[in-house]
Amino acid sequence: MDLSIVNNDYYLSGMAALIGDIDKQLMVMLRDGRTLIAFLRSLDQFGRDKGYDEWSIRYCFLVGNLVLHQAFERICIGHQYADIPRGLFVIRGENVLFIGELDFHQPLRVPLIEVTIEEILKLQKEDIEKKGRIEKLRQKAMIEHGLVGEGNPIEEHY
Amino acid sequence: MLPLTLLRTSVYHPMLVELKNGETYNGNLMSCDNFMNIHLRDVICTSRDGDRFWKIPECYIRGNTIKYLRLPEDILGLVKEDTNEKPSRSGPNSRRPFRGRGDGGRGGHGGRPGDQRKGGGGGGRGGHQGSRGGGRGGQQGGQFRQGR
Repeated sequence: MDLSIVNNDYYLSGMAALIGDIDKQLMVMLRDGRTLIAFLRSLDQFGRDKGYDEWSIRYCFLVGNLVLHQAFERICIGHQYADIPRGLFVIRGENVLFIGELDFHQPLRVPLIEVTIEEILKLQKEDIEKKGRIEKLRQKAMIEHGLVGEGNPIEEHY
Repeated sequence: MLPLTLLRTSVYHPMLVELKNGETYNGNLMSCDNFMNIHLRDVICTSRDGDRFWKIPECYIRGNTIKYLRLPEDILGLVKEDTNEKPSRSGPNSRRPFRGRGDGGRGGHGGRPGDQRKGGGGGGRGGHQGSRGGGRGGQQGGQFRQGR
């Protein structure tokens, strides 16, 4: 994030801190596990921070939205990845897990191999099936021990 | 340009909406509001796993169930035209180069000074448009307060 906007007097909290990252290429991870790489074009924010309480904790409720341009969805399975072009996105802020700045000049710490989109989708399907099987076994074992899972909080509501 | 403004200019255009439960709705946007509630027409609904499809002539989606919207890229070009044509709504006030709720000088120093971005500065512009987020506690956007 742009640190020049963070100093003692003028601190932008939450989404507003992203203003310094407009027109930059960012990596956005959504709560459903999707990874997007795109240019941040604009954002909004509402709610406000209530300032500090006696323990110096900031209260702020901010559920803004993001406009992402030239977005690629990056799917990584193991060391293989593929970028699927997705275009223009308007994302509701509450679905964002985190947003990070990308530095393409640095070499990748984990060497990733690019594959074709068909290939990665195939790998993804297999990966999901495998994880599903493991999860089922886990659930079964948990139930046998009397531990009933709490379910997926997101899927429960919708 | 604000995300919701972008949405408003994309009325009558096709779009894809993905809900939090993973269902996707492909259709033409008929109307939207500040809560991101949308009304779509000629909709094709795809289930989460992509194996079931429904054709729905019209549907209304509540804003808070939306995960994201995918719009056609040419909307951005359209948006630029729209903002050039629309007359300035709030008169001389809107031309001041600051962001924030109208807190004058204080707001002017928050963030990057003198930064007039073409598409960004979302927080500040939100502060100007008084009707935005009316139901959300009536708070104006982009309140940049002096932090500790």
